[in-house]
Amino acid sequence: MIFLAIILIVVATFSFILFGITGLKVVIGILFVSIPFYLMLNNFGLGESEKYVFSVLLGITIFPSLVYLLGLVVSFRISILAVFLFLMVLAFVLRKYKLKKSN
Amino acid sequence: MIEHINIKQIFIKRFNIFLYMKLNKNYLQTLIFILVYLFALYFWSQPYQERKLPYGEYDAMSHFEIADYMAYNDRSFVKLPQYIDVRYGLDNKFKPHTLWYPPTFHSSLAVMQVLGGERIVAVYLMNTIMASFIIITIYFVINSLFGFLPAILSSLLLIFSPRDFMPFLWGQWPERFAYAFIPIILYCFYKYFISYSKQESKPVYIYFTGLFLGINILVHPLVFFHSVIGLAALYILLAIKQKKLVFNWKHLAISAIIFLILFMLFPIQTFNIFPQLGSKNTDTQDTKKPVELSRLLHWSLNPKDYAGSVPEFYFSFSKMHGLWTLPFLLIGILFLLWRREERDIFLLAWLISLYLILHRDLIGKATFLHRSLSATAHIFVPLTAIGAVYLGSILKLPSNLRKYFKYLMAAVFVYFAFSVNMQYAGQFLNKDTYNPNNENGFFVSLNEEEFKAAEWVLENVPYTYNISVLGIPHQDRFVSLTARKIRWLNAVSQHVNRFYYLIEDEKEKESHLKNNYIMLDYTMLGPLNDKETFANMQLLEKTSLANHTLVYNQGNIKVYKLEK
Repeated sequence: MIFLAIILIVVATFSFILFGITGLKVVIGILFVSIPFYLMLNNFGLGESEKYVFSVLLGITIFPSLVYLLGLVVSFRISILAVFLFLMVLAFVLRKYKLKKSN
Repeated sequence: MIEHINIKQIFIKRFNIFLYMKLNKNYLQTLIFILVYLFALYFWSQPYQERKLPYGEYDAMSHFEIADYMAYNDRSFVKLPQYIDVRYGLDNKFKPHTLWYPPTFHSSLAVMQVLGGERIVAVYLMNTIMASFIIITIYFVINSLFGFLPAILSSLLLIFSPRDFMPFLWGQWPERFAYAFIPIILYCFYKYFISYSKQESKPVYIYFTGLFLGINILVHPLVFFHSVIGLAALYILLAIKQKKLVFNWKHLAISAIIFLILFMLFPIQTFNIFPQLGSKNTDTQDTKKPVELSRLLHWSLNPKDYAGSVPEFYFSFSKMHGLWTLPFLLIGILFLLWRREERDIFLLAWLISLYLILHRDLIGKATFLHRSLSATAHIFVPLTAIGAVYLGSILKLPSNLRKYFKYLMAAVFVYFAFSVNMQYAGQFLNKDTYNPNNENGFFVSLNEEEFKAAEWVLENVPYTYNISVLGIPHQDRFVSLTARKIRWLNAVSQHVNRFYYLIEDEKEKESHLKNNYIMLDYTMLGPLNDKETFANMQLLEKTSLANHTLVYNQGNIKVYKLEK
């Protein structure tokens, strides 16, 4: 966890120095869209590096695809928040289901 | 004290120390990779680090336009807005005047534009991350199968691959990102196949194969077909190697369902593949040309067939990879052919799939053939790194020398990567790439004043109005060049902009001076010393525009609203 924090600080500092506050926000944005998938992938017995790479790939593709679909009927900005909440709930439900199944 | 510690405790303590050392090594390797990747981001983002202005060829404009429209207007869209439809209205052959690409890639840029709270840097940075994601996936896959050294060397050399960063600069943005999925798709399938053979099946990997294959088609169909050929080659070679056919209806059906769900997510766009497949080849290669079997002996294509599309050096191995990589590449291939472990088969199958994709013109499928060439580094580079790292094993050096030799070869590799590849890459990718203030981008990129004026138009001019732009030199030699500048004006202003050449044609003149806005762009005339156009524009202001309203006057750009 400490190592992960160090990595994040390095990346965030780099982005801030090179691209200003926008760079920092983009890094946070990538984390934001990837976290729900990382939590979901915790349930599939994958290796740690697999979880990191797969969750970012899913975060920057599946997340915006769902935002696009919802954005056809509601505000794009609201869609971002709604999709995030939906995926977080899904990750939580998946975790509960897996725990119940393993018991 | 010693006698109080039993053997079990000693064992646990030693185990902990070894685990700690191993973890430390893993941390260090990860940190090194992160630094290499951040350097890649630095290197690739040079054109917009200081200027923060959009740039690129026509494809770049289209991708920017789609993402920017969604983020700026806070809504998704299917039907194209007028300023995009003018050029791309017929690109979706399945349903014209709608988005012609699945919106996955562009929505990602749009989400980052919203979260980043800025229009240009957020999009370009996110695009840089996605275009360079191949560096991450190559590192991940090669590190998993062959260890850290070949992986980090591969990721380093890929930073300077012109066939990767040039299409990224030009604007083939989704395609660049889509290539990052090929190693991941092959890796997932490989893990499934290997685990299946060992009777400890891990079906989750075949589900991920279907998932990433589905995403791959949403990001770019051309690369999806490359992935499919790769999977076929990998399956056949692994089946031969293990003398076993891996087939499980249940696993395959679930994987296919996952793929189909993704395929059907945006049917208007994914169904566009079918008319595209059926249509005749419109690429630069002439389909009537007889099939040349000698092509089977070449990797690359004939540059003359793509004149005007990509530069001739794009087809040169020495320019694109560096001639120094060739011996290592051949050694790498020969070593894998000789050893033939499962992981070696993985890379060889990938290499074979690239060969097949690059020779699809022999079965009449030549569309965007040159674009497939942009995938060469993704497999050549890891093979080159393996050739360098395993050279000591091939030479059968004593084991104590082999380790030093391996690091010596790695040092040679790094030296050439920086001294040859980075040097060459720096000629095309630097802070002056597409710089509107010098010859690199003077005619093709928006300068600061033009960008500000375009943003003013976006915020102040109703959508129903077009903008006629004067001040772009109307000598023949400038027309095709500056066409890109006016298209960037379209993209940033989200309006239809068109050239106004002050020609004598009265009908043409009337169309410009009716129900319109006129932008007088004086920013280019000074550096060009174009006194004639300057005088004509001044005259137009004093005569035809005298009774109209000057609504914008900043940085040598004026905008008049023409009163009815």
